[in-house]
Amino acid sequence: MNTNYSLIIIGGGLSGLAAGIRYARFGGSVLILEKHTIPGGLNSYYSRKGFLLETGLHAMTNFADPGEKHAPLNRLFRQLKLSRKQFITHEQFSSLIHFPDKTTLSFSNDFSLLRDEVARVFPSEIDGFDKLQAFIDSLDAFAPNPRLSTRMILADYIHDPLLTEMLLLPLMVYGNSEEHDMDFSQFAIMFRSIFKEGMFRPHGTIKDFLDLLVTKFTSFGGEIRYKSHVVSCLKKGNRITGVTLANGEIINCNNVISTIGAPGTWNLLSLPPENDMCGKMSFMESIYILPSNARKNILNDHTIIFYSEKKEFQYCRPQSPVDPSWGVICFPENFQNLPLGDHFQIRVTNAANYELWKNASSSQYKLMKVEWGKVSKEITTKIIGNYQQNIVYEDSFTPLTIEKFTAKEQGAVYGSPFKIKNGKTPCPNLFIAGTDQGFLGIVGSMLSGVSMVNQHILQE
Amino acid sequence: MTRNEIKDIVIEIIEDIDEDAEMDSLDSEKPLRDQLDLDSMDFLDIVMELRKRYKLQIPEADYPQLATLTSCVNYLEPKLQDV
Ligand SMILES: Cc1cc2nc3c(=O)[nH]c(=O)nc-3n(C[C@H](O)[C@H](O)[C@H](O)COP(=O)(O)OP(=O)(O)OC[C@H]3O[C@@H](n4cnc5c(N)ncnc54)[C@H](O)[C@@H]3O)c2cc1C
Repeated sequence: MNTNYSLIIIGGGLSGLAAGIRYARFGGSVLILEKHTIPGGLNSYYSRKGFLLETGLHAMTNFADPGEKHAPLNRLFRQLKLSRKQFITHEQFSSLIHFPDKTTLSFSNDFSLLRDEVARVFPSEIDGFDKLQAFIDSLDAFAPNPRLSTRMILADYIHDPLLTEMLLLPLMVYGNSEEHDMDFSQFAIMFRSIFKEGMFRPHGTIKDFLDLLVTKFTSFGGEIRYKSHVVSCLKKGNRITGVTLANGEIINCNNVISTIGAPGTWNLLSLPPENDMCGKMSFMESIYILPSNARKNILNDHTIIFYSEKKEFQYCRPQSPVDPSWGVICFPENFQNLPLGDHFQIRVTNAANYELWKNASSSQYKLMKVEWGKVSKEITTKIIGNYQQNIVYEDSFTPLTIEKFTAKEQGAVYGSPFKIKNGKTPCPNLFIAGTDQGFLGIVGSMLSGVSMVNQHILQE
Repeated sequence: MTRNEIKDIVIEIIEDIDEDAEMDSLDSEKPLRDQLDLDSMDFLDIVMELRKRYKLQIPEADYPQLATLTSCVNYLEPKLQDV
């Protein structure tokens, strides 16, 4: 077996797989080391009772028709030499932002729907909304901009605080690592990828998508090893010369890309984490499976419902184990032209407090899951109607589950609030890709992997 | 390699990069990027593919010389003459 690779990638999540394909494509020798038994990281799957359950995917963002050459999704496919034409997509029906007093905005992959909705519900704000949108269009959000407060910038365009909250909820919950506020570049990227481009699902499951990526990677000569937990990096001066696995094995390499987040990477270098590298935002997610005929009893014609029970939602680590007063309700079957099966799923995501779950004893932990699952069900029932009596199977995961399966410290799904946008670390041949480089979500983290290889490794 | 062979190679590489590329209507004297609507990431792929196939190192400063099909052939001809 080869024990000296030009590139080692730590982590077989979406950013690691994309980086691997990109490098292997041009003949470079590359090894992906993944500690879990399957690929995917935050976006993976498991089986229970004959159901394949997905752990990440609600929807992929950045929808674009195959003909739109410069759209991020299509650029990504070209970079990975994957055929966009053969990649079948299912667009969302429509989604809903649901706030108190029946104030709702719906949106779809046709941006004009959201614009019409804003004009309908907030007639005096539509000029500001149009200007905000024009400003976002004019911005190069990928340039290394200084951090600007989204709330401050929004205040220049939008005057009704309720509209501000309603626009922030979907964009924060799908990709903001910071509490309370958001970096405006990140807001602009999310505004485009969710409101302007839109949401879809790939045909098949996330397993099929991961299989496609792994097959591409190995067909280019890349190697992937599972159950391979990297515990440290070997250094000569400042340069990394290789990595050590948990079983003591040493593998040498010329360059390393780490996708395990900044705190985890600093750990491998035996460096103390810098300022407050750990993100605070984590979630509890519950998956409910219901028989198909239970659809008719509930509000079931949207793809995703972003809800808040209060006019202001608190985007932060809650005081209680879970904050069900705001969250996301996702219907993974509600995408256009998906075949209907015997069962359907409802998935509910709420902010959760890592520490409270961490400090619970194992019996408390089980009780907390049941108890908070119940509160979450009661609140979501008020929005979509009673689905509880029809649940045939349910499972939930907590910040601890996320930490265990992805090594994201404190279960911080979106990583550290301090992003390392150029990917550089204290070592000249070690680079960060994925969540902590700053691109989030499935399409974002894959683009991150690709662009780090392009910038730092390919052109050496 | 002859000029025609080099031209075919470049066309083949572009077709390989972009499944939608319309090569039939290509004007050899006009910039490839405009005609094919390529971006800088795609452009890098042409360079990387030449490197993979022929071990050619093309420094970034030379990228402008790959602007049109004809200029590509001019630039590559001396480098690929023994291939
Ligand atoms: C509940 C939930 C829902 C989501 N929904 C969506 C969605 O609907 N749409 C969307 O676009 N995005 C969604 N996301 C976000 C998306 O999943 C992530 O942004 C993306 O998958 C991040 O990929 P990554 O490669 O950066 O990180 P990761 O997926 O975390 O990959 C890192 C990998 O490194 C491995 N690893 C860690 N430490 C080591 C080590 N020491 N040695 C070896 N391997 C190691 C981990 O096992 C993991 O596989 C969701 C996330 C969650 C948790």
